[in-house]
Amino acid sequence: MIEFTLNDQPVSADVDPNTPLLWVVRDHFKLKGSKFGCGAGLCGACTMHIDGAAIKTCITPVASVMGKSVTTIEGLGTPDNLHPLQAAWHEHAVPQCGYCQSGQIMAAAALLEQNPNPSSDEIDAAMLGNICRCGCYPRIKRAIQSASEGALAYDAMATAGGQA
Amino acid sequence: MNTVNVSRRRFLQSGAVAGGGLVVGFSLSSCSSTSAPLPVDDAQGAWTPNAFLQVLPDNKIRFYTARSEMGQGVTTGLSTLVGEELDVNPLEMEIRLAGVHTDYVNPDFGMQGTGGSSSIHAHYLQLRQVGANTRALILEAAAQDLGVATNTLATDNGFVIQGESRYPYAQFITTAQTLSIETDAPLKPVAEFRYIGKETRRVDAIAKSTGTAEFGLDVDLPGMHYAVVVRPPVARAKALSVDASAAKTMPGVTDVLEVGSGVAVVAESFWQAQQAAKQVSVQWESVSLNRVSTEILRADYAKALDTGDGVEGPNDGDVSTALSSAATLHEAEYWAPLLSHSPMEPVNAVVRIEGDYADVWTGIQFPSAVPGLVSRVADIPAENVRFHQCYLGGGFGRRGTPTHLVEATQIAVATGKPIQLVWTREDDIQQGPFRPASLMRIKAGVDEAGNLTAWDAARAGGDISPDTFRSLLPALYSWMGDGMIEGVANISEWYFENFATDESSTEGLFEDYDHPNTRVTHMTVDHELPLTFWRSVGHSYTAFAKESMIDELAHAAGLNEIEFRLQNTRNNPRLNNVIRVAGEHMARMNPPDGHFLGFAAHHSFRTDVAEIAEVSVDNGSIRVHKVTCVLDCGQAVNPDIVRAQMEGGVVYGLTAALYGGLNLENGAIKESNFHDYPMLRMDESPEIEVIIIDSGTEPTGVGEPGLPPIAPAVANAVFKATGQRLRSLPLQLA
Repeated sequence: MIEFTLNDQPVSADVDPNTPLLWVVRDHFKLKGSKFGCGAGLCGACTMHIDGAAIKTCITPVASVMGKSVTTIEGLGTPDNLHPLQAAWHEHAVPQCGYCQSGQIMAAAALLEQNPNPSSDEIDAAMLGNICRCGCYPRIKRAIQSASEGALAYDAMATAGGQA
Repeated sequence: MNTVNVSRRRFLQSGAVAGGGLVVGFSLSSCSSTSAPLPVDDAQGAWTPNAFLQVLPDNKIRFYTARSEMGQGVTTGLSTLVGEELDVNPLEMEIRLAGVHTDYVNPDFGMQGTGGSSSIHAHYLQLRQVGANTRALILEAAAQDLGVATNTLATDNGFVIQGESRYPYAQFITTAQTLSIETDAPLKPVAEFRYIGKETRRVDAIAKSTGTAEFGLDVDLPGMHYAVVVRPPVARAKALSVDASAAKTMPGVTDVLEVGSGVAVVAESFWQAQQAAKQVSVQWESVSLNRVSTEILRADYAKALDTGDGVEGPNDGDVSTALSSAATLHEAEYWAPLLSHSPMEPVNAVVRIEGDYADVWTGIQFPSAVPGLVSRVADIPAENVRFHQCYLGGGFGRRGTPTHLVEATQIAVATGKPIQLVWTREDDIQQGPFRPASLMRIKAGVDEAGNLTAWDAARAGGDISPDTFRSLLPALYSWMGDGMIEGVANISEWYFENFATDESSTEGLFEDYDHPNTRVTHMTVDHELPLTFWRSVGHSYTAFAKESMIDELAHAAGLNEIEFRLQNTRNNPRLNNVIRVAGEHMARMNPPDGHFLGFAAHHSFRTDVAEIAEVSVDNGSIRVHKVTCVLDCGQAVNPDIVRAQMEGGVVYGLTAALYGGLNLENGAIKESNFHDYPMLRMDESPEIEVIIIDSGTEPTGVGEPGLPPIAPAVANAVFKATGQRLRSLPLQLA
């Protein structure tokens, strides 16, 4: 029995401990937002947070998250309560096919958590593990920049200034 | 089955939309007693005036998207067309992905298919007419219910306006159901557009940013089992012997069976099926492809070109004489390799068979193929096959080939279980169907005044159409026996090898420039590799040859690359204008030292695109810093999606230009996953600027036309940077 925290809820699963976390989350817990893209940790479609770090879960045995905290795209925000990055994704019309975007957003969220005001190069480095075949990279970067602390502070200032 | 067969009127006559023939094959066919019920949701109290729209009692408007959403933004585009005339904000509609029905055919194809960058063009008038007619019925019903004249009423985003009062559309649907209109309601003039051409967001962005958009892989049914197929390393080889004894004892494994394409392993979870599949040992037969390597493929193409003997395409004027009298004569050979589509969502399907009925979930570009195909394999009536379209996690042409449905249905029939069949990434990269490899030779002449006088172009390689045809035939002609299908497919191959050029093989190789003497020759060389459409199809390789050649010619004749193109596209005014605008833009660019600008322009899918690539070369490595894309696609229904499609076309094409290449060794593809079949990532993604020219015409394609110019634009920049002409893709410096 593997016990861990999934989107702030304690859970347990009686599965082969070698099963990748991705498949436990998708098939056992029926959270389908995290995707299978390569099965080899090469594309990032399966990215979740494990204790806050962006991890490729298609190659992460579920046993290794015993006692840890796992967050999926479903735990980040919902259509009625969007995370700022999800709102930025909508605002900048980022997704095309959309299949890689859960992983992209999870990678971006972990970045901003650690570095609220990343440079363009820092964004490139943090997002290097996530492939988008539709070519949404320029928009992903713009959306991350718009949701970064500096941009949000600037927006808040502009809004306050506009109201004054 | 959630189906309602409501009373519907045929208020749109086939061909009655302005423009007539544009919508041949389109009808809202309730008047036909034999028509199938519409596959729309059963909604209590809703009004379903046609196959595309439902007005719910709470004034929600549902829109059934007939084209497949694979990222190209078609749900946003089509809901904008219908919303414009219905006067409902497309972002506030509930989007449904349509099932299979004759009312959902693509007016350009006569079948339910999405491809060829056709959707907005094909539905531009049709869906606006659907919206306009539905709005007219609501207005007429409102006039009756309110006891006023229709001309005292207006609409505003789902509400009927009378003086100061606002009434939801839904208030009038009971009366609306009793009405019919005899003629087509007038369409809005362009100047009154409220949604078309405006900057709006995408209807699917929130679902796709929250993990709530349902792709085929996300479908999960009670009792569903997962299947993985062990496939031959060399295409089309059959299993001679199978040892699955170890696999059968693996945890969760329930069935191991041979299907036409290989050995299927079925388990309670995908992970278990995939692990067990690795334990299956198969001896495969040797087929003719076994002898083929990339080098042999290319050598076979070169041999075919050397003979000069092929199927003649256009042959105008006297090419030989014109070449011999040219002031500048130039000849070159260009190579484009086999490619995989590699959509981020690996191909998959869910099939559940219960008695005489089947339910199918997958994201597919040709839904028309589903009922016939499943019916044939499962031996049930086609009308008992219920198709549930999903979002496509990338298409790029790959999801036009439905062979995975055959596999999923075979396994569901054999095991009696609901089955989700999943291709692994390794299957995806190694099994195809592929973008064909091509070897192209162009010989061209320019006179002393800089006029292109002769264009002699030849291409050798496999044909796309007959192979794709082969995979769709059994689906579309379910009444034909297997032998007859095979016969028709073989005739089609033979026809293209001997009589006519498959348009997909040479499209884009010769059409754009004015050259009075033109000869096009095609040599089909078939190595039995599975082939299909790949984003921009033939243009994906012909534009590289053509636009490299044009650049080489301009250089050889000592002419400016833009002036030379302008001078020789006078008969092609829209492309000429795009080249002019892009050329003026390039003249104003001021790249830093060490950066060089390469130019290319190409017409495809009715749209004209020019691209400028700003490139540097450092230690033999090519870096693309910025791409400026200038296009004319007529009316941009959603300008931001047009920009997104150009961005996407550039990145997809740049990935191929810098990295794309599958290699054959003893008939098998050597590459297997993203470590050896690399993709462009964010750090190498250039800044992309898109300039849309609105020529005021009806919309033309945007899903594919952004791709063809990028490889030659980069190659032409590399020439400026290094003096090296790179004539093989992917681009690699010597």
